[in-house]
Amino acid sequence: MVAPLYTTASGLLFHAGKILVVTVGLPARGKTHISRALERYLRWAGIKTQVISLGDYRRKVIGGAQKLPPDYFTLGEKSPETMALRKSVADGCEQIIWNFFDSGGQVVIYDANNGTREARQKLAEKFDKAGIHVIMMESVCDNVKVIERNIRSVKISSPDYKGWNPDKAVEDYWGRIRDHEKYYEPVEETTWPFIRIINVGEKIMVNDIRGYVQSRIVFFLMNIHNRYRRIYFARSGQSLIEHSYKADSDLSPSGWEYAERLKEFVMARRKKSVVEKPGSSRRLVVWTSARRRSHHTAWPFLTADVAKDVKVVEKPQMSEINPGVWDGLAPDQVKKYYPDEWERFVKDPYAYRAPRAESYHDLCVRLEPILVELEREQEDLLIIGHASVIRCLLAYLIGLPASEIPAIEVARGDLLEVVPTSYGVHSQAFHFWDGPGRNFGDEPGEPGKDENNFYENYAEDTKGKRKIGYESEN
Amino acid sequence: MQTPLADESAVSSRVSSPPPAMFGATGPMLKQFDQSTASSRKGSQSSTPPVSVFGIGNKVAKPDYSEAKIVLAMVGLPARGKSYLSNKLMRYLKWLEYDVKVFNVGQLRRTRARQQAQQAGIRENHTAEFFSHNNEEATRRRDQLAEDSLEMLIQWLKDGGNVGIHDATNSTKSRRAKIEARVAKEKGMSVIFLESVCNDPAVIAANIALKVSSGDPDYKDMSREEAKADFLRRIKEYESVYETITEPHLSYLSITDVGNQVTVSHIHGYLQSRIAFYLMNLHLKPRSIFFSRHGESQYNVEGKIGGDASLSTRGLQYASALPALITDNIGDAPLTVWTSTLQRTIQTAQHLPYTKLTWKSLDELDAGVCDGMTYEEIEQAYPEDFANRDEDKFNYRYRGGESYRDVVVRLEPVIMELERQENILIIGHQAILRCLYAYFHNLPQADLPYIKIPLHTVIKLTPKAYGCDEERYMLPIGAVDTHRPKPAASTQPVVTPNTTRDYFGTEK
Repeated sequence: MVAPLYTTASGLLFHAGKILVVTVGLPARGKTHISRALERYLRWAGIKTQVISLGDYRRKVIGGAQKLPPDYFTLGEKSPETMALRKSVADGCEQIIWNFFDSGGQVVIYDANNGTREARQKLAEKFDKAGIHVIMMESVCDNVKVIERNIRSVKISSPDYKGWNPDKAVEDYWGRIRDHEKYYEPVEETTWPFIRIINVGEKIMVNDIRGYVQSRIVFFLMNIHNRYRRIYFARSGQSLIEHSYKADSDLSPSGWEYAERLKEFVMARRKKSVVEKPGSSRRLVVWTSARRRSHHTAWPFLTADVAKDVKVVEKPQMSEINPGVWDGLAPDQVKKYYPDEWERFVKDPYAYRAPRAESYHDLCVRLEPILVELEREQEDLLIIGHASVIRCLLAYLIGLPASEIPAIEVARGDLLEVVPTSYGVHSQAFHFWDGPGRNFGDEPGEPGKDENNFYENYAEDTKGKRKIGYESEN
Repeated sequence: MQTPLADESAVSSRVSSPPPAMFGATGPMLKQFDQSTASSRKGSQSSTPPVSVFGIGNKVAKPDYSEAKIVLAMVGLPARGKSYLSNKLMRYLKWLEYDVKVFNVGQLRRTRARQQAQQAGIRENHTAEFFSHNNEEATRRRDQLAEDSLEMLIQWLKDGGNVGIHDATNSTKSRRAKIEARVAKEKGMSVIFLESVCNDPAVIAANIALKVSSGDPDYKDMSREEAKADFLRRIKEYESVYETITEPHLSYLSITDVGNQVTVSHIHGYLQSRIAFYLMNLHLKPRSIFFSRHGESQYNVEGKIGGDASLSTRGLQYASALPALITDNIGDAPLTVWTSTLQRTIQTAQHLPYTKLTWKSLDELDAGVCDGMTYEEIEQAYPEDFANRDEDKFNYRYRGGESYRDVVVRLEPVIMELERQENILIIGHQAILRCLYAYFHNLPQADLPYIKIPLHTVIKLTPKAYGCDEERYMLPIGAVDTHRPKPAASTQPVVTPNTTRDYFGTEK
């Protein structure tokens, strides 16, 4: 849960004040991976967050490693020129952090090695004096295989090694790590709150973490993992009354047909994915909401032929966005009876909450426990959901800004497949069904769209569709 | 003060009164619809098609937790708050409907000793000598007790339990290795160790004082000083062999000074991570939690449920009287007020001179198609459904709305935040406060929907080591009674706040 929805006078959320998360760790310990994941999560929760990476900054202002003096990374004696250069890079980067805080940012994740106690202490004191909460986030890894994999998959494709032979680059990078190791001091001082993550979450140590956002950060980090898995999304089938939240109606006949088709398609897709990536035998877990249309769409997965490696779970937090007193009304009626509310709704479909309804922000708050559970899940997951719910979860996985959530296109009849990768996700859409409830009124003879069902899909219908997972995206 | 993003919407201008809810259960529309679509529900090809939707709601079965089988073994010296953590955790998980039981080795020891004393007239020596590791006979007996209690726990898990808490010192590596090996023999069971370390002398001293003053039968015939000296000797005996948990392969959680420092190692699985996070959020600072329903609303007066009505005249009086009551009670101590997003709670809080936050999660149970109706109207239109709900309120979900269980799930993050906070006043709704109250007093789900939370009354809960103290302040401002007793039953839940420790495990 991201809890109380309110904005303070300063524009900061949750009364948490400003937070600087200082990453600590030797190179290739997954600091960037963790930083990016955390940034995605906090931004999704509506918190203005920015990863500021010392390496990226250095590359931007000076250039790749080839442009650096040879003693830039060796931590021993340095020439005065190199010392000055390093200081100017660090100062410049710090300035960016200050600028972000000054412009209304709430959380900065400072992605750098910060390997010596003295440097950390200086940095933390500076920000602490300005009333910013400082947390050290250390990533420790003593598993050589994990480090090597990280170097090969991420580091040698960095601009520092442009044009290098891969093996040479790996060797060079190990050299860089060894130089750092000589001077590295793990976070043992308890002066500052810290989180230490050992071997990618195998063990986590936490010291003196206070505050709401801080505790959410810890819980999030406790739940992320980097094992391979797939996450699928599909809409529920067409129901008898599409436009009412309260009626909670059954599936229509074509909705039942859709449900069968979805099962067949998902099972076939899973078979194929085993061929693509052999050696994996993950179960399929299906999550539905407690709404009839969603749970009934999962019904075919309960049949004997697939039930042994499928588990269906109903999650009451996954109901569609609640339209409040506008339930079942057509836009014209709403405009007539609620003119002021309508105007505000149209202006900001993410943050505006109609009378007794939920805003998309409210929905994200409600879905937060689901999201953490989704991160923790190690089996393959199929979410049979409502358009609004899928939008919120997808936006998180893909890292879209909160304001874009309401306009994400989620078409009935498409299966979205999302595969988490080291710095983000890979997503792909498969079209599997063209029946009633997918297309509306484009072709002669097709049923018109149920225009009373507007609250959930208004932005998608009017603001242009934000497509996810289709070839154009890549 | 904060402005919730959308609360003004409720009071903005309107050209005319809004249309009635389209799919409410008031008119004939819902019934006609259900009848007209009966045939179309045969679309399911499944041999066991789901039950069709009709009426205003239905009972929902408890989720299947049968896969959860966890042995949670405590680790820690005496007076380090192990029993406190066990009890807290049990309360939390039971509230979430997991089947949890604490197997306290000390209770087993005392119970057996009592039996022995009663039957054979032999009084076993349970002073510090009994806990010395040089005392071979006693060591053997203590090992036996720990093993017996673990066997009882495992049997209980096999019989359907979810989380068995082994509340013992489990202070050595070899003892923990034994537990690990024993649990490994059981398919589908896993073990996590939970170490409680305490470095704060004040907390240890308070725990010791509580121990020797609260009627521990081990110290029945001793003076307080003697008891304290003996207990300190017992701690010393344990300290001499204690090995803090560091075994790298074990799944464990180590908590220092109640959440100040936490180490989490090899914690996999959903429930395990929930447990870890819950324990991280606890604190021991003295504080109180105040509950009040909103003042009497227009809907209360009219006997309607749900809605977003404003306060009645008497409700407004309550809102005016509330600040003095709270301020008299709490003095200068800091306090934060939480309300829902509904007008009646915001209005009730309007004069309170404290920081106020609105939570969507605190909104009243959603009565779905019945929102805005009176109970009489519902009973008339849907007599059978109505009787169904009365019979099993906790499990009953209103169509297009929520059940009490849904509300508990929705409130879980609120409980988590409540544990982290200090003085809080919640201006809430009947069903919401019932759920929160049940958590603090460890009341069973079946009784939860019948807890009495009257209007114009402030309930003050003060968490203690083994429960909550309760005080109620009724303001002399009249209000309607919205409580509906359990039909045909005399089992109105009676809450007698119990904050004493259970030394024999025989209560309840």
